Amino acid sequence: ALPISPFPTFALFPLRVSVLSSAMAACRVVRCARWWSAAVRRPPDRRTLCTAGIGCSEGRTCSFSDPEVQSLLFRMTGLNLEKVFRPVQQELKEPEYKLMTDEQLLKAKEKATLEAVERLKMPPVLSERQPIEDVLAEDQILEGMETAKYVFTDISYSTPHRERFIVVREPSGRLRKATWEERDRMIQIYFPREGRRLTPPPIFKDENLPVVFRLDRHEHLLNLTLTQFEPDSADYIRVHQRTYEDIEKHGKYDLLRSTRHFGGMVWYLTTKKMIDGLLIDMIQRDLLEDAVSLIHLYHMLHPGTQSANEAKEQDAQGVDLIKIFVKTEAQKAGYIELALQAHHEALSQSAS
Amino acid sequence: MVHLTSLLLKHYHKGHVVIRLALSGCSNRPFYRIVAAFNKRARDSKYLEQLGSYDPLPNNCNEKLVSLNIEKIKYWIGNGAHTTKPVDKLFGLAGFFPLHPMTITNAERRRKELDSRIATEQENTDAHEQDTN
Repeated sequence: ALPISPFPTFALFPLRVSVLSSAMAACRVVRCARWWSAAVRRPPDRRTLCTAGIGCSEGRTCSFSDPEVQSLLFRMTGLNLEKVFRPVQQELKEPEYKLMTDEQLLKAKEKATLEAVERLKMPPVLSERQPIEDVLAEDQILEGMETAKYVFTDISYSTPHRERFIVVREPSGRLRKATWEERDRMIQIYFPREGRRLTPPPIFKDENLPVVFRLDRHEHLLNLTLTQFEPDSADYIRVHQRTYEDIEKHGKYDLLRSTRHFGGMVWYLTTKKMIDGLLIDMIQRDLLEDAVSLIHLYHMLHPGTQSANEAKEQDAQGVDLIKIFVKTEAQKAGYIELALQAHHEALSQSAS
Repeated sequence: MVHLTSLLLKHYHKGHVVIRLALSGCSNRPFYRIVAAFNKRARDSKYLEQLGSYDPLPNNCNEKLVSLNIEKIKYWIGNGAHTTKPVDKLFGLAGFFPLHPMTITNAERRRKELDSRIATEQENTDAHEQDTN
């Protein structure tokens, strides 16, 4: 019989303050995602009406923000709590230790899971914004009066940044709307966002990106991109594409797993049809459900391909989906089959 | 309901609200704040509300930055605020008001001066050519 102690059993759960404050520190990043959704003004009712019941599979063009796609990507991202709440580089504080009962520990873990789901919200994937070329007035009389241009910004607090009026009166007398770069700069001057610089730091230049990639700091770079640029700006899209291409070239998929950027990477690779490396990586790490959801996403995005048609005919599930894909579309078919075989052998060995 | 304070002012101080430029900054570095204040107040003293800013020196991108809180400017103008000439000219350049007549007049005067200067230079060069020939 177990000795019954007069005191209830306690579990020591070292809840370091750095974990909590990294939660608070990363709140800015979460807040900026919420800011986008307010600024971009996507009316939520219209979206749910449009996508209710109708999905990618019925011949409509798939978009990143479809709920089916989002759920698939979220499942593939994984939920490694250790990695999500990894200490962020910040000011040193003393660690905090809490004494908890088993139930309190369970509740703390559930709260941590909810917080992690919130942190793993994927930043939006938008197409590049069209340049603004609106001219409001052409007053040739004013030509030669000024040597510098005037930039007029509307600083009313209640207007969203996307709808703000920012006009430029040039020395030639033309009154035009400001370009996207001018807009970003003015909004940062009058409504500064924490972490965003007026001129983007040189880390985002094409020459300096390989240095960052060599140090395996892809996630850090992508977080910097999130704070610095708008999601539909050319720089944001360019940096993200370079990062994803580098990851795909070197097979460093695990760097982004269990971060908020994994979904975006999977989306990009699937649209470019470069998912073979990712598939091999998933099979080798024993994540077969993720591999199946990847193929599922591929079929949703490219419904006209041979593998999609065959899968629909045979109504394949699970590993069969991967086999159909390997037969028809894969470029590294040999490697994927090898990986599948190795996985199968490992399973049978562990079973016996 | 009409804004009470402006009524009181009108009858007590015989003053009114103005939207004007309040100068601040350092020596050889002016910076204006576009401000709604009572007419009788000193230029840089207590104001009712700041409605924007104007930086007369161009920045690294050769831009003179002007910020206007359009919402509140409309509010104060709706409550009977007057505007001074420099503020009128700024609003005209911004497109918020029509172009100020003095902006256009000064532009036309400058254009005439330039044209006459070009004409005299042309005459001088013609005279030089004739002398050399």
